[in-house]
Amino acid sequence: MAKVKVATCWLDCCSGCHMSFLDIDEAIIDIAKQVEFTASPITDIKEFTPVDVGIIEGAVSNVHDEEVAKNMRANCKILMVWGDCACFGGICAMRNLFSKEDVLRRYYIETESTIKGKIPSSEDIPALLDQVKPVNQVVKVDCYVPGCPPTSKAILYALTELLQGRIPVLPSEMMRFD
Amino acid sequence: MKEITLTIDGKSLSGKEGDTVLEICQANGIDVPTLCHLDGLSDVGACRMCVVEIERERRPIPACTYPARDGLVVKTSTETLEKYRRLMLELIFTEHNHFCMFCEQSGDCELQRLAYRYQMDNVRLPYTFPSLPVDSISDYLVMDHNRCVLCGRCVRVCSEVVANHTLDFGRRGWKTIISADLEQPLGESSCISCGACMQACPTGAIFGKLSAYKGKESECQATRTVCPSCSIGCELEVFTRDNNLVKIQGAKFTELRGQLCQEGRFKLLAENRPRIITPLVRDGQGDLTEHTLSQTLDIVAENVRRRKGNFAGLVSAKCPNESISYFCKFMHEVIGSNWVDTLDGESYRVISTGIENFKDGARGLDIECSLEETLEADCILVVGTDLVETHPVAGSFIRKAAQGGAKLVVVDSVRNAFAPWADLWLKPERGMEGALIKGLATTISKGGTETLAATTGVGPEELQQIVAIYGKAQRAVIVYGNGILEHKDTSVITAILNLAASVGSYVGDKLRVISLKPRANSRGAWETGAASKQRFSLAGMKGVYVLLGDDVMEDEKQLSELKGVDFLVVQTSYYSPLTSMAHVVIPSPIWAEREGTYVSLDGRRQQAQRVLSAKKGLKSDEEILRELSFKLGRKLS
Repeated sequence: MAKVKVATCWLDCCSGCHMSFLDIDEAIIDIAKQVEFTASPITDIKEFTPVDVGIIEGAVSNVHDEEVAKNMRANCKILMVWGDCACFGGICAMRNLFSKEDVLRRYYIETESTIKGKIPSSEDIPALLDQVKPVNQVVKVDCYVPGCPPTSKAILYALTELLQGRIPVLPSEMMRFD
Repeated sequence: MKEITLTIDGKSLSGKEGDTVLEICQANGIDVPTLCHLDGLSDVGACRMCVVEIERERRPIPACTYPARDGLVVKTSTETLEKYRRLMLELIFTEHNHFCMFCEQSGDCELQRLAYRYQMDNVRLPYTFPSLPVDSISDYLVMDHNRCVLCGRCVRVCSEVVANHTLDFGRRGWKTIISADLEQPLGESSCISCGACMQACPTGAIFGKLSAYKGKESECQATRTVCPSCSIGCELEVFTRDNNLVKIQGAKFTELRGQLCQEGRFKLLAENRPRIITPLVRDGQGDLTEHTLSQTLDIVAENVRRRKGNFAGLVSAKCPNESISYFCKFMHEVIGSNWVDTLDGESYRVISTGIENFKDGARGLDIECSLEETLEADCILVVGTDLVETHPVAGSFIRKAAQGGAKLVVVDSVRNAFAPWADLWLKPERGMEGALIKGLATTISKGGTETLAATTGVGPEELQQIVAIYGKAQRAVIVYGNGILEHKDTSVITAILNLAASVGSYVGDKLRVISLKPRANSRGAWETGAASKQRFSLAGMKGVYVLLGDDVMEDEKQLSELKGVDFLVVQTSYYSPLTSMAHVVIPSPIWAEREGTYVSLDGRRQQAQRVLSAKKGLKSDEEILRELSFKLGRKLS
């Protein structure tokens, strides 16, 4: 049987969801038998090619994130998102309580350890969006695994469901927001 | 009440007229999700989680506010309802700023639990990200408006149970926030830090600083016991983890008798006096040095033998009946001394002599009524006590009664935080409270306020008002406290009883009078006979044995008398001015490490449970006294 092609990426996040995925211990052997990872931080391949399942960790915070999310969506049949940032905005979305300008000034100029700070500006640096968004406000999402990070058990459950041809919905007892 | 029958989820169920649909569901084990509902408080239908479908109603209706009727047909769990509930949750989550990952309440949060139940793995609406304040000025509480769902449980518990009305909704529409007074920080508002709002809060919007991040309820052990702070005897639910205190809640906090005050809920957790864990004996240089318990008790035994008989015992009424009785027995049978008293013996002598001199005073403290009588009262006289400071839960009873229509009169010569609640505040000159009480009975029966006004300094108009209020009352309750007791004038106590009797304020064979005893088990200690009938001077004693426990000796006179004592043994949990003058200090358990019987100010006998296991090597007061008796050649059972 042909392996299921999976691509993953991370946007504005801490990579904790991917770590949690790697924490599925010996179950990863079974997964690896059935799945081929194409573009992913794990394979370090950046270019998306068409896949069966796309996985996004992280919130959409800048124009680059937006681009990557759209690119992933265009290349996958089913899009799953991991973690509170991707599902709801999470920690990243806390910057929405302040203006973009205030956040940049605080970070690059006012932090106590900064001397003569400067807000970087270059067209190579992706511009911040006014508001951090969960992925479903940018592209259509098919399934969600919340958690900060999601437990490896929840990630494994979602992957197993997908491999068995079902769109996963976490049962209540597996739901975690922390 | 009329029986009604209705159909819920296809089952025929019965209830009483006046029940809400939610009440009938809950009574019959039908699980309807709720968020703004809290047993014991009124219902407002704020959260819409409990929506149900009712035949012939056009739209889903909150079950918590819908009065059940005969013949109703109700559905509590349909696809439409579940869809609505999930949408309600999404609306709540987008309205304010909810971030579970660092929230103190995560794991104990009712909102989070509902989101899990409804598998809310994404939100289909845009978030609003409002800019909201966090108020952390209060000593004990943090109010984080970001996490508030505006269910109003805090507002209702503050008004309906605590009757303090600090919290309310402020602003309008989607800008609504919970406001203390007129948007004051909690710590600068009329808040009395009872913490009921914190216990009522379903989310992490109001949480306690002392308990934050110390453990989720599921990781803790919960033990019910009696509050050791004042003499009301509130029931505590104490959460512990790895033998450490985590948090304290009111066992039935939406009932008047179940609530707590800042002493019980917070100050017990904030305890920071240095603990005594090894026995200490004063050496030749005058320093306290560590000894084993056996060595220490040998030294005590030898000194007791040398001072045969002339040895007094003092016991704290914060100890349970069992320890107190054991101590008395030890003093009588082993030491052979009749000089035993409680730390608050003076209050006992004032109250009991005052009662004895009253015409039916033979019944002693039994002549006083229960705190619940205040709720039936049409007039309450609060004399010589600041209830906000000393007995805050009694304050709630009385505020509740006053809000129900009872006239509230405060008699106190000094600044009194409870007085603003009163209809009338009589402010006699310092020390004239007694004269005022004595004069009132005469004035009520014979009229004429001028002389009384001249002697007490209370204006004649105010005196006319009190005569009008108290003289007319049918069920007037008098509550008095330390402001009266500190003058040690027993005739004032008799006058209080006479005043109540003069207007016939009896309930059964009890007079509507309550004395506020100073300590958690004062009444128990007094009734077991631990308090001495006659005052005796400690200064003349050759030796004094004080069982202090975790109590504090604050009475300057007692302290100065003990200073001159030849041999002073103090059994206590903490270093204090008393241990600095003691010759021998023996460690004693704190409240949480004890168990036993406590008697509240109005005579309720309650069992305190042990919450923490004693620190390693620490013995109970009884074990220590038993061992000491053995060294003195006596066997104490």
